[in-house]
Amino acid sequence: MEGSSVAEKAVLRHSRIWRPEIIEDIQAKAELGRYRFRGFSALLSRALPSFDDLTFIPCTLTRIPLEGYREKCSTKTVLGTRFARKPIELDIPIMVTGMSFGALSYNAKVALARAANRTGTSTTTGDGGMLPAERENSKTLIYEVLPSRYGFNIHHMKMANAIELTVGQGAKPGTGGVLLGAKVSEQISKTRDLPPGVDQRSPCRHPDWMGPDDMVIKIEELREATDWQVPIFVKMGATRVFDDVKLAAKAGADVVVVDGMEGGTGASPDVLLDHTGIPTLAAVCEARAALEDIGLYGQVQLIIAGGIRSGADAAKALSLGADAVYLGTATLIALNCNKPIYVEDYHKLGTEPYACHHCHTGRCPVGITTQDPELVARLEINAATDRVVNLFNALCAEIQMLARSCGKADVHDLEPEDLRALTLEASMIAGVPLVGTNKVFGGGPGWKRAT
Amino acid sequence: MAKLTKEPDQKQPAHRVGLHTEQLVGRTQQIFFSAEEEENYFYPDSLTVDFAKRAEFDAAEMDSRQINLTIRQLMGEGHGTIVVHNPLAKHSLGVGILGRLQLHFEGSLGYFGCGLIDGPNIHIKGRVGWSCAENMLAGTVVIEKNAGSSFGAALRGGDLVCRGDVGGRTGIDMKGGTIIIGGRTGAFSGFMMQRGRLIVLGNAGKNLGDSMYDGIIYVGGRIESLGIDAVPAEMTELDVDWLNRKLKTYGLEAPKGAENLQKIVAGKRLWNYDNLEPAEKKIVL
Repeated sequence: MEGSSVAEKAVLRHSRIWRPEIIEDIQAKAELGRYRFRGFSALLSRALPSFDDLTFIPCTLTRIPLEGYREKCSTKTVLGTRFARKPIELDIPIMVTGMSFGALSYNAKVALARAANRTGTSTTTGDGGMLPAERENSKTLIYEVLPSRYGFNIHHMKMANAIELTVGQGAKPGTGGVLLGAKVSEQISKTRDLPPGVDQRSPCRHPDWMGPDDMVIKIEELREATDWQVPIFVKMGATRVFDDVKLAAKAGADVVVVDGMEGGTGASPDVLLDHTGIPTLAAVCEARAALEDIGLYGQVQLIIAGGIRSGADAAKALSLGADAVYLGTATLIALNCNKPIYVEDYHKLGTEPYACHHCHTGRCPVGITTQDPELVARLEINAATDRVVNLFNALCAEIQMLARSCGKADVHDLEPEDLRALTLEASMIAGVPLVGTNKVFGGGPGWKRAT
Repeated sequence: MAKLTKEPDQKQPAHRVGLHTEQLVGRTQQIFFSAEEEENYFYPDSLTVDFAKRAEFDAAEMDSRQINLTIRQLMGEGHGTIVVHNPLAKHSLGVGILGRLQLHFEGSLGYFGCGLIDGPNIHIKGRVGWSCAENMLAGTVVIEKNAGSSFGAALRGGDLVCRGDVGGRTGIDMKGGTIIIGGRTGAFSGFMMQRGRLIVLGNAGKNLGDSMYDGIIYVGGRIESLGIDAVPAEMTELDVDWLNRKLKTYGLEAPKGAENLQKIVAGKRLWNYDNLEPAEKKIVL
């Protein structure tokens, strides 16, 4: 008897189909009677094609590198050169994506605005209107016009340096935002014109226009209201990117933002996070091919978002055609998200540091995704600002280092030719040769490769 | 420590409109946004005008851009009453006006007419296309004939009046203000309404008030069907008094008297889906 018990312990024979997390998920839903919620980012028990599947091939004898640590390598980024009288000029190609005051705390929003200001880049308002302190602390502010129009104010829009007409987001394309009642505090309910404590579910369609033909006129209206001064971005979740980017560009966007499925969120049903949209790697390739297809590549700028974690990710996105990248989750992690401090509060939420995805509960142990004054106070604005500034500087240095090694004096000169694919899948998606073969499998997304 | 980089100055208009006055410490390299710097803060349509100073122009040969620029130029010259002849249903006319103005359109407007405004009194003799007065903050817009869909989308304040019939999705995502429809309204009127009042003196299409968070809808005629979580409510004396005063302002009357309008409000059953998971509820709720 004793022997068989030891053998059972040694060989548990878990099912690969009914894994422990699948069993836990089914039992949780059996108790709840509805879909499950999470914040932060996708759970994804499978690997996605990602920028990790690509590698740079720096200069050796066929190309001459620049001195990796010293020689000048420009990171200046100009967006909105197509129609706007005042395109935005940024010092770095890394921008802060739209995260609402509501999803994030006041301290987090202000820290991000200040960090963007100090690194010469922009910050974006999010689905809850403009926080006045955010405007005052940022030199370049992008004002989002979302389907919900929460807190929308024409006066605020006129103060912005660019307008982002948001059609969708990478975490849950085709579905509006969510802010559960625990985070709809008195202050948030006032800014969004909602009853306090209500579960806020943002609309997924704009109230005043429906399809791309109406969007042409909507963009014209926004330009008329802002005297054709500021660039108009169109942001979308990555789905039918090749067609959607062409429609947005044809509708008159100065800049198109494509947000891949790795993009994070403050709250979303699990099922949308894990099973909707296409990966950021595929999105950037399709987006560039789309702009080339209609002859607007270079005229309409492209911003890529969704799971950008490092300078390498950003540099690969730039190589594949992006003009800049949006950072969201990475900036929150720099603020302190998932840091092993206040560990007892992670435990109260039934989680651990590094595994916390409980943004939707409003009980963020580190004061980022909460409206509770006691928790918010845990995020010290100046120190938090410094951390995000450091992150941006580090990422920027990483991008420059990769660019110099590829012989580029401007990070925007990085190109697909600087990359090779490590997997067959990445070769097919990105249209760059598989390592060791010098052959592009499947033909890639169809852009004109440098010869 | 070095002196703070910026002194809050309550005299600045930026602070008067609600911008924050917080001081920063120890950060000298920051470049601050200042609403007073012209390059940061263009505000072309907020001008001081004199209502007695009247101007008229014919817009038949002009495009939307020229018409809006002409209105702005006339406001800049102090004209407080502007009459636009032959707008010919062009799009985006009269948008972004942020101040007092008597504006008359002697004809019809296309899409997004008078959107994104704060303060003007606008009278439109003809019809309007989709999304008239969307996101209006304050002022009045009165349309003599019919209006298209998404009438007063995401309205935040002011009075928006259509004496004729309107299309679907009237008052969608409405956040405040009042919309008055003299005739009938289409399907999904008051969809996801948050605040404000929608008065329909004629019939209302199907799914009226679908998913409304709050606010009130009054209907004088037949309601084809109520949307999810929209429920009838009792009229009160306060409702009747307010309706009579409001309708009188625009020379309108409820067909059988204000007291006989049907009142629709949010059932509030969708307010909380109880979305937290059992383990989370223990700590959060």
